[in-house]
Amino acid sequence: MPRIAGVDIPADKPVLIALTYIYGVGRTLSGKILQALGIDEKIRAKDLHEDQLSALGAYIEKNHTIEGALRRQETQNISLLRNIGCYRGMRHRIGLPVRGQRTRTNARTRKGKRKTVAGKRIAAEKT
Amino acid sequence: MGRSVKKGPYVDAKLLKKVMAQKGTGQKEPIRTWARACTIIPEFVGYTFLIHNGKIFQKLFVTEDMVGHKLGEFSLTRVFRGHGGVKKKEMRIPGT
Repeated sequence: MPRIAGVDIPADKPVLIALTYIYGVGRTLSGKILQALGIDEKIRAKDLHEDQLSALGAYIEKNHTIEGALRRQETQNISLLRNIGCYRGMRHRIGLPVRGQRTRTNARTRKGKRKTVAGKRIAAEKT
Repeated sequence: MGRSVKKGPYVDAKLLKKVMAQKGTGQKEPIRTWARACTIIPEFVGYTFLIHNGKIFQKLFVTEDMVGHKLGEFSLTRVFRGHGGVKKKEMRIPGT
């Protein structure tokens, strides 16, 4: 298993796909990187030459933010929003969708598992 | 979708005038405004605004991090009182 840009170890897939195993590299960026370095996107990652591997690593690290640095940047951006007290920061704080989606239904990714509130009838009987 | 660069940020003309007037005299009185759609530009840093939220004016001291946001983003228009049935109603917070 070859290593590109630090810890990442893509498998024996075509390089175009293998590169997307790096956090911060998707299909589009992967294609652009390979084009810039003139590497055939169809060859398998295991068939890459040593020089090509190091060239890929150097190129990616020089031109793009990936992995830890990218994750740090993201959390930083969010905490900035949280701290200035704007609407988006508020939504982050209370764990609701940030980009104006509906919350009457759905929004389960942000809200987590359903927390069922006891039905009205039962509550009425208790009082 | 972002606003076209050609136009530049939307800044309320009247509000800008008021800020500039304060800049000239050096005083820093809170500025009352309804211009929620106005972008916060670097010139606004260090001034206090009273931003209308449809009901009251909420105070906002503009810091450098807020540049590029709109004034309205800092003056929420809705009040969330929480969900819940009978129990919560008794604990309801008085005021506003």
